[in-house]
Amino acid sequence: MIKTASLFTHPRVPLLDLLNLREQTRLFVLMLALGLVLAAGAMRWLALPLWAGTALVLTLLLPPLILKWRADARRFGRIAMVICILVMAQGFHTLEHLAQWVQYHVLRWPSFVSGGLISTLNAEWVHFIWNWAVLLTVIYLVRGGMRNPWAWLLLAWTTAHTFEHSYMMARYLMVLQDMRAMGVTNVAAQGLPGILGRDGWLATSELTQGTLICRLSGVTTAVRLDVHFWWNIGETTLLLLAGNMYLQQFVEQPAVISKDRLPTMTTA
Amino acid sequence: MESKHSARPRSPWARLLIFVLLLSGCGGAASSADPTPAAEIPVQVSTHALALAQPCTGAFVPRTLDYTTTSAGNIAVYEANGAGLAIGDLDHDGRLDLVMANLDGPNAILWNQGDFQFRREDLSFGTSRAAAIVDVDADGKPDIVFTRRFEKPTLLHNTSQSGPQRFAVGTLPGVNNPFYSMTWGDLDGNGALELIAGSYDTELLKQAGPIFQQQGGGVGVFVYRQQGGNFEAQRLAEAADALAIALPDLDGDGRPDIVVGNDFNRPDYAWVQPNGAWRLATPFAYTSENTMSMDVGDIDNNGRPEIFATDMKPANKDLATMARWLPMMKLMTKPLTSLDPQHVENTLQVSDSNGNWSNQAYERMIDSSGWSWSGKFGDLDNDGFLDIYVVNGMIAAGLFDHLPNHELVEPNMAYQNDGRGSFTLASQWGLGSLASGRGMSMADLNGDGKLDIVVNNLQSPAQLFENRLCGGAGLEVDLFWPASRNTRAIGAQLALHTSTGTYYRDVRAVSGYLSGDAPQIHFGIPQGAAVQRLEIRWPDGKVSNIANPAAQTLIAVTR
Repeated sequence: MIKTASLFTHPRVPLLDLLNLREQTRLFVLMLALGLVLAAGAMRWLALPLWAGTALVLTLLLPPLILKWRADARRFGRIAMVICILVMAQGFHTLEHLAQWVQYHVLRWPSFVSGGLISTLNAEWVHFIWNWAVLLTVIYLVRGGMRNPWAWLLLAWTTAHTFEHSYMMARYLMVLQDMRAMGVTNVAAQGLPGILGRDGWLATSELTQGTLICRLSGVTTAVRLDVHFWWNIGETTLLLLAGNMYLQQFVEQPAVISKDRLPTMTTA
Repeated sequence: MESKHSARPRSPWARLLIFVLLLSGCGGAASSADPTPAAEIPVQVSTHALALAQPCTGAFVPRTLDYTTTSAGNIAVYEANGAGLAIGDLDHDGRLDLVMANLDGPNAILWNQGDFQFRREDLSFGTSRAAAIVDVDADGKPDIVFTRRFEKPTLLHNTSQSGPQRFAVGTLPGVNNPFYSMTWGDLDGNGALELIAGSYDTELLKQAGPIFQQQGGGVGVFVYRQQGGNFEAQRLAEAADALAIALPDLDGDGRPDIVVGNDFNRPDYAWVQPNGAWRLATPFAYTSENTMSMDVGDIDNNGRPEIFATDMKPANKDLATMARWLPMMKLMTKPLTSLDPQHVENTLQVSDSNGNWSNQAYERMIDSSGWSWSGKFGDLDNDGFLDIYVVNGMIAAGLFDHLPNHELVEPNMAYQNDGRGSFTLASQWGLGSLASGRGMSMADLNGDGKLDIVVNNLQSPAQLFENRLCGGAGLEVDLFWPASRNTRAIGAQLALHTSTGTYYRDVRAVSGYLSGDAPQIHFGIPQGAAVQRLEIRWPDGKVSNIANPAAQTLIAVTR
């Protein structure tokens, strides 16, 4: 019989065990402190921009995180490790959107300044690539066994979110092409509305004019920054629920865990 | 149970006190909206049947006028602003004439000969911006006032003589400033007209350099009161980029206040007059940034007028439109402070029953109409609800170098009021002209009870759109107040009570962008509605009532 009880000290929220840094905690804290000091100093005395300071901290955090993820794979299996990586990465991405939201709504910075922590990159490309990566990862997780109601909702949510970013990417490229045809090459077309939100396709399409949909509070009235804040809040929430439920099945039904998923920590 | 009882006042005296407080609260609200008891004023009324309307087609018929506003040389940003127009019956023949302002060519009067035929008479003085037809000297004859590009306003005094001598070219005594926009109104209810005018400092700075601030009597926003034939100035602001001025009642005290719509990043101004003295106010939390035009009208017939301002925001978000707009947007977008209320889009300021204003343009589908200039209310389909027409387009080297002839070609936009407080695009009305419109006004030019539209385009002939929409009847009102110094009762408020609701209008001299209005009031009366009473609140607060006015008539009311 496979014994897994020792792996999960939080049987109702096993995701906490997965996210626990365990033996990498000290190194993580050390690198985080080092990164914050270096970044703050560089920003203070070398005029390093915020995005570069953030990138410096993230780079220093990579070694303890990679060591932790390797341990996760050995301890909980590859699927659980991927869940852990995705939760952490998506969590940071949501933190970025939260920073934008705070900058815009709380600090009341202008929208074009409310770029979050690492805003220097082209937002259209970053979000297009990021959302496709998330979608493919979620598909991998579902194929690998993360099949539960939250996971199916997550897949649907992520697919819709990725579709919206693909729509925005297509519009972005076509507008660039149209401008190039007019001889304009020095203007970016980032920030155009997508399907949802204020001025989005749903709000302006002839199909919705005169209906409740075209001015449905939030869905077709929120600014783009808000729309994508909520996209990511939803995505992260569903990912946490789906990942937790995936892990819960191992707590409740330890016999289904195969040795190849728990290669080192299980005992016969 | 104890806690429920403890929430109520146990003492009957306490209940009485609350009752009295509630009553006093209600009374306070009512008194702020209606400060003086209205006295009924007898009037003379003459009624004239309106002409039979042409067979309706459901669309406007475009006509080209023999007039073009031009600009010499390469059109840059300020030349691109074009010029306005005004509508009024200059010769008392019962037909509304047109006065066209011009940047480079001659200004002109287009005398209405009937059947949409106009005789052109050029006016021999230089460039102009805005036009208004106002009886400045209260002699009963409408005069013409132009604001000029870099000079003080010009007055064309109506002498009543026939021929070219009808108008004597002069100035407004005491008005020496180079103004861009203006309007006229009886701000203090004393029966005399005041001039409210604003400068366009950014253009003046480019033309004259920093010394522009010392030219004439200075720049900014001024209120001029007429005293013994002279205009006495009160300066409200020392700087302005005033493209539009409106006189809504912002604080519900029954008196007109002042809103100035400024171009560029300069915030709009507002002043109220709580005790007869002007006080700067900030009634709006969300405004247009490049306020091009303003109009005041009651779109939902609730007795509380809304304020519509136009700005520059693409009406459609399709790829071709965005590609045309984005290079300009990169050039024009300026960083604003975090608390700045300005946004680059049209606004519709709506007041609630407590007098608080909020922008509802997006919710009501009119936040983006293109690169918009004059935008005005008018019941175009005679259904009792105010519709909106907005003229569009831009020609400017430096801004649109990526487009042929530096021109952003955009259709004008007509919005039909759906009767529920929202608007739908009425492209079927045939008003989507692609000419580069600037000034625009509405009036019934053929006396058939329907509002026609005149547009002063830039670099292409002016247009007249004959109203052939199908719908209800019209009722038009001319007010005369010969015993006052406001002979056409500018500022009077009218309420037409019908079986389908009450419709509110007011007499104004100027609205939209640089465009003078006829003092003739137009009501649309929906089919099947019975007209019950016309209520007139004169500018001094006195009230007259006319029982059972007939639809499809023109009523001349003389106080």
